[in-house]
Amino acid sequence: MNREFAGLALLAAALAAVPALAPSAYVMALFNLIGIYAIVTLGLVLLGTSGQVSLGQAAFYGLGAYASALLARNLGWSPWLSMPSAVALVAVVAYGVGLPALRLADVFFVLATLGVGIIVNVLMVQLDPLTGGASGLRDIPGLVVAGRRLTTDRDYYYVVWGAVLAALLLARNLSGHRAGRALRAILGSEVGAAALGIDVERYKMRVFVLSAAYAGAAGALYAHYIRFISPSPFALYASLFFLIMAVVGGLTNVWGGLFGAAAVTLLDQVVRAEMPRIFPRVGGEYQTAIYGIVLVLIMIFFPSGIVRGGLDLRRLVARVPHAAGSGGPADAESAGGARA
Amino acid sequence: MLALLPQLLLTGLTIGSIYALVAIGFVIIYNITGILNFAQGEFAMAGAMICAALLGAHVPLVPAAAVAVAGTCLLGALMERLSIEPAFGSQPLTLIIITFGVSMAFRGIALMLWGADPYSLPEFTPGDPLTVLTGVLGRQAMWAIGLSIVVVGALFAFFARTLPGAAVRACADNALASRLVGISPRRMALFAFTVAAGVGAVGGIVIAPITGATYDMGLGLGLKGFVAAVIGGLTNAPAAVLGGYVVGMIESLVTGYLAPGYGSAITFALLLLVLSLQREGLLQTARRRQV
Repeated sequence: MNREFAGLALLAAALAAVPALAPSAYVMALFNLIGIYAIVTLGLVLLGTSGQVSLGQAAFYGLGAYASALLARNLGWSPWLSMPSAVALVAVVAYGVGLPALRLADVFFVLATLGVGIIVNVLMVQLDPLTGGASGLRDIPGLVVAGRRLTTDRDYYYVVWGAVLAALLLARNLSGHRAGRALRAILGSEVGAAALGIDVERYKMRVFVLSAAYAGAAGALYAHYIRFISPSPFALYASLFFLIMAVVGGLTNVWGGLFGAAAVTLLDQVVRAEMPRIFPRVGGEYQTAIYGIVLVLIMIFFPSGIVRGGLDLRRLVARVPHAAGSGGPADAESAGGARA
Repeated sequence: MLALLPQLLLTGLTIGSIYALVAIGFVIIYNITGILNFAQGEFAMAGAMICAALLGAHVPLVPAAAVAVAGTCLLGALMERLSIEPAFGSQPLTLIIITFGVSMAFRGIALMLWGADPYSLPEFTPGDPLTVLTGVLGRQAMWAIGLSIVVVGALFAFFARTLPGAAVRACADNALASRLVGISPRRMALFAFTVAAGVGAVGGIVIAPITGATYDMGLGLGLKGFVAAVIGGLTNAPAAVLGGYVVGMIESLVTGYLAPGYGSAITFALLLLVLSLQREGLLQTARRRQV
């Protein structure tokens, strides 16, 4: 636990030093984006701790953004009131989704969240009078701290990363305590966990609602930071993007979630800058090709994440002789296990 | 209002027959390997785009379509060998995420190769449409419906009447036992991806003259086909075909009567409904897989 706090303190100190070392608006904006994505990813990691995966996080992220933006913009609420209200709303929606969805076996739960994600995105586009349709909402009020209007990327840097540290601390505390042990037990075996007296359904629901609330909070921050939202950043593609961040970090590792968000956001920046030089005439989401391949490679070679990938890499190297003799006894055994 | 009905039903039937073809691909792969392949819609895209590219190079339609189907089969086989086979024995969830990754890769590569502009394909047999009641059924729509029935029939004949078909059914029924009698589940997995890719490609090629061919057409087709397969119980090919028609009809009716634009939202609401109603049933049928 002390090492955890030392890590957090070190991170906080390093983050406090960043604006002094690299004060450019680009670096600040990049860090803010990483921070917002990191909060969503931390939610996915918490969910992953209990062995579940969601492909609907972008919907909760978007709901948080739209709810907070509408409350602040149309009803004149202070963002400091609209953001927690939006998070509460997202939590309620997630509870409603979880009631039927969490009863499904793991694979079908993923598909239910995928369906929810698509429905929410269609509603964002179609409920034109409320959401502004495909062209989105403009003039969302920014944040005001102690009477001072936040305007620059650097101003928001402190708010975003303060939120990330709070999210990280909560996630760490949770996974280090009773709830975290219960979730890991569920990951190991739902039946086994139930036999130990863990209320599996309640824990799964709580962690699902919490992960949605994380995404909603990130979305609310995003809305008041960017001050313009439209349906496209909250589509299915974004859910896959968040999932890639989480699996890069290992899906069950809180620090890995932070690493994954940073690594994938930076990769995205590099790809966006470099790809037009290689394919000058192509625009749009061509970078999906690279993310798709990255996702496949990670799932094949580092299913527990790149952070702990060193271990897997060793296993991989050790496995090479077997792979050469494909169809040998070792292969037959693993094939048998897969079918069981 | 009612005057519109025959037209909406015919439109639903047409698009539904394509969903049916995609859904069959889902069922074939799920039955044999236990994997939900979310790159299934990309096979339809690949078929349509390869065919469009060949037509653009002045290749006649029939050889272009044949090469497109064969090329997509090859893509399916490559996908199995490069992304599924190396992860053999992983959790079902890991394998599903891999198929999402592959579909993203296919979409991105198609965008690089062919750009974002839609390609148009000529109708197979241009001519006057047929009038059914007050609805109009285009020649290409007849091709779509007819080909989907032919493909389904051919698959049935293959699975029910031939020795390789029996091997596939054996593998779907009990992989361990079938390995004992000399059927390799890995070869069957390769076979499943190859055939599913080919079926998807046929769907893509036949619908492209109606909807156009774009690099991102696979996402929608794949997800709708998946909903169709789930409605059919995921393991039952005839039910999946029926599911395809149901999804097509619902989408068409919602677009025509309620609100255009809500079509896919209703389709996925239907998915959630079916999933929550079948929560026990789905698990049950998952254990009793059959082709």
